[in-house]
Amino acid sequence: MKLMQVFLPKNTSAGQMSKSVTIHGILLAYTVIALFPILIVIMNAFKDRKGIFRDPLALPTSETFSLVGFEQVLLRSDFGLFAWNSLLVTVLAVGLVILLGAMAAWALTEYRFRMNLLITFLFAMGIMIPIRLGTVSILRLIVELNLVNTLTSLVLVYIAQGLPLAVYILSEFVRTIPKELVEAARCDAVSEYRIFFSIILPLLKPAMATVAVFTMIPIWNDLWFPLILAPSEETRTITLGVQQFVGQYVTNWTSVLAALTMAIVPVLILYTIFSRQLIRGLTSGAVK
Amino acid sequence: MMFSKRTKEHKPFPWHLWVFLGPGLLIYLTFSVYPLLDTLILSLYEEQAGQSEFVGLKNFITLVTDENWSSAFWNALSNNLQFFAFHMLLQNPIGLLLAVLLSSPKLRLASSYRTLIFMPTMLSVVIIGFVWQLILSPIWGISEEFLYSIGLGQYFDAWLGKEGSALVTLSFISVWQFVGIPMMLIYATLLNIPDDIIDASTVDGASPMQTFFHIKLPLILPTIAMVSILTFVANFNAFELIYAVKGALAGPNFSTDLLGTFFYRTFFGFQLQQGSSTMGAAVATLMFLIILVGVMLFLFFIQRRIQRFQF
Amino acid sequence: MANLQLKNIQKRFEDVEVLHGIDLEVKEGEFVVLIGESGCGKSTLLRLLSGLEEISEGDLMIDGQRVNTNPPAKRGVAMVFQSYALYPHMNVYKNMAFGLKIAGQNKAFIKNKVLEAAKKLKIDHLLERLPRELSGGQRQRVAIGRAIVREPKVFLFDEPLSNLDASLRVQTRVELGKLHQELQATVIYVTHDQTEAMTLGDKIVVMNKGRIEQVGAPLELYHQPKTQFVAGFIGSPKMNFLTGKIHQQGPESTQVMLESGRIISASVNSSELHQGQMVTIGLRPEHCTQASLDNPLTGSVSLVEHLGEVSYVYMDLGDEGELVTKVDGDQAFQAGDTVSFGIEPHKVYVFDENGVTLDRVTNE
Repeated sequence: MKLMQVFLPKNTSAGQMSKSVTIHGILLAYTVIALFPILIVIMNAFKDRKGIFRDPLALPTSETFSLVGFEQVLLRSDFGLFAWNSLLVTVLAVGLVILLGAMAAWALTEYRFRMNLLITFLFAMGIMIPIRLGTVSILRLIVELNLVNTLTSLVLVYIAQGLPLAVYILSEFVRTIPKELVEAARCDAVSEYRIFFSIILPLLKPAMATVAVFTMIPIWNDLWFPLILAPSEETRTITLGVQQFVGQYVTNWTSVLAALTMAIVPVLILYTIFSRQLIRGLTSGAVK
Repeated sequence: MMFSKRTKEHKPFPWHLWVFLGPGLLIYLTFSVYPLLDTLILSLYEEQAGQSEFVGLKNFITLVTDENWSSAFWNALSNNLQFFAFHMLLQNPIGLLLAVLLSSPKLRLASSYRTLIFMPTMLSVVIIGFVWQLILSPIWGISEEFLYSIGLGQYFDAWLGKEGSALVTLSFISVWQFVGIPMMLIYATLLNIPDDIIDASTVDGASPMQTFFHIKLPLILPTIAMVSILTFVANFNAFELIYAVKGALAGPNFSTDLLGTFFYRTFFGFQLQQGSSTMGAAVATLMFLIILVGVMLFLFFIQRRIQRFQF
Repeated sequence: MANLQLKNIQKRFEDVEVLHGIDLEVKEGEFVVLIGESGCGKSTLLRLLSGLEEISEGDLMIDGQRVNTNPPAKRGVAMVFQSYALYPHMNVYKNMAFGLKIAGQNKAFIKNKVLEAAKKLKIDHLLERLPRELSGGQRQRVAIGRAIVREPKVFLFDEPLSNLDASLRVQTRVELGKLHQELQATVIYVTHDQTEAMTLGDKIVVMNKGRIEQVGAPLELYHQPKTQFVAGFIGSPKMNFLTGKIHQQGPESTQVMLESGRIISASVNSSELHQGQMVTIGLRPEHCTQASLDNPLTGSVSLVEHLGEVSYVYMDLGDEGELVTKVDGDQAFQAGDTVSFGIEPHKVYVFDENGVTLDRVTNE
């Protein structure tokens, strides 16, 4: 009866009850489907080889508990560096996408000038057309700029990848800012730069959070550009690092499970902490 | 109109405009617009011994008709269409169902379900690919054991390794991972429908089913259309899952080859075939055209017909 | 058309009881207005009547039949929402036809009904439009039309005029009154606007904190409020309330001493109370006049609001606070003037500590 109260509001009639049970049943079942594979991998990462194969569905016991997989991963690859690279690239790219995106969105919505429509259209195209299709030329360009195997190349490409959606979302938001704010400042002869940085930018914060969410996830998870532009050991991102590691030690189950767990757990922890904001950003930004 | 920005008087050069717009635009033009245009142009050239030569549509003709290329290209395209169809038939209906259930009134734990079901969507496709490769592995046997425990053991097979089932299995994995996106977007739209409208329908005598089909469904159609086009673009751009699970060769026997992996192989080469940037550009151009046509169809036919509703 | 009986209707959300037992009778063709401050339970009660919320306890009878568990359409009720709640993807015709279509009526019948209702509401030229292409007033009519076509036994209105601007609200109010006369329908109408309540209602139900405070005809509530709450709720400007103590009690006449020592005499029965007990006296602004010499209240004018036909004079009474009076618009008052108003004892209301009105001695 206690358990039922978690799922059902009080004073539920029999008809509502059976309906409610069905809904919870389906949602619960799908939640299990969504989490089961991930939990299995994480669970088995903390077991020794025997434990993994003898009873994969069992939790680690004192007998089967082992961190040997993690030791092997840390020994054979530079996981810390990969994570650092990913963090560096993601933070720099997202930060710049937000700043440059906000500046461009402001320019495109506030000022009228001849090429405004063309530039707005160019950015809009970028929302739908994946930047990957230009990879052949991007690689050539990066080679010419001498940026192969640098994190800079990744940051530059990710900025270009993230800007269109950022400009779109931020422009929508800029339009909701009352004109009077800016006009009052202009009457006081405040410079256009000050208007943007001290009036507009602080107002854009909620939209920036949305943009950060949309930009961050694809960058952190990307395999394509790290694989093509910066595959060297020193510049590997975590996604590429895991891919290469698993490819190399595919038969070493303890290591593979540990490597996957090390890639999954930090993301899940961050996700759990920020899920509320993230989902709000996702739903509010996307509905428009 | 003294302060209008449209006055055609001799105004000083609008430095601030370009200070705001310049940096972002420059990076976008350099690393996205230019490479894309350059790729389209490059697809019309052929490179031999460092010399590039304009060859018109030759690369495309080769791709579509040449016996060394065409079967691989058509195979990748047809696989990609299947991949997309699978998402449309499974991912979006499941997402819709979950969204509808999540939005049922007075549902307890709704936000927990939402957070947990969306979890796989957050993870890298590469990681998810590996996770499922392990789960489905006959060596580990975890799926087999599970199927036996529910009495379906005899149906187990090394699905990822068989030509007939590999693509479907990969589609399943992708659907499993991304079901969170349609769910979340449709859910947000459902929450935006004012309660009064649903109440009005109830008072008008509609059952919950009738309310769903007559009121809710028409109101979430624009979102479903948007989800469909997002799915389309993502599917025709997919690469990571196949590359992680099956490698660039998209085995067995290219049965899981998508345009993304085909593009990668063409560009970088594989086994005996040398990589070619011009042929790679031609493949990318075709992918561009496919995506462009899809997006245009969406914008002109679907989006135009379905008005967006203001409440 | 139908009559309604509410017997001890209660509503609980989880553990919170929001309606504590409502008893009410609504006669056939009656226009009943539920009025009260927001959160008093009036909208919840309407939702219980409509079937959108389940009744926790008590009986709801329509035409003598218990309909507690019947779904909305089976109860024969139709509802007009504050937000109009028009289906945004359907044109006006389809909006109005929806209920009949769900009920499985044939097309010709539906068309007939919709056209008839549309003509009545003068929206027959708008049938092809979508709700977003309509003005607020037009949407309102469509919402009413949607209710009319179903020929319900009871119409439920949930603050239908509150989203309209002031002039349109007055106009629509008048039309609603006419429509009611024409249809002779049973109507239950929720509002927080006393003018709507007074002008439209055959019967007004004043609600407060999940209970019915008083039920009565508009003038009955104005003249014989049973409680201080009702007295304060009906009338504009609001009744003045001054606190004091019983100075001299009696069955026919009572004297109340205000904080400043002023004595106010009132023709009410205070024999149940004893001397020194705290009471509140109520003075309607329109009852305080300069002509009256009873109960003189002197103070300085702090503000005058000219409304044209009448003026509101705000007087500072010192310890007692402020007194608002309503005077003829052509009388000249200025801030700072010292003035004196009087009120006849039989127009003074006295409320005991629980806010219950003491019986007034009527000599008419």
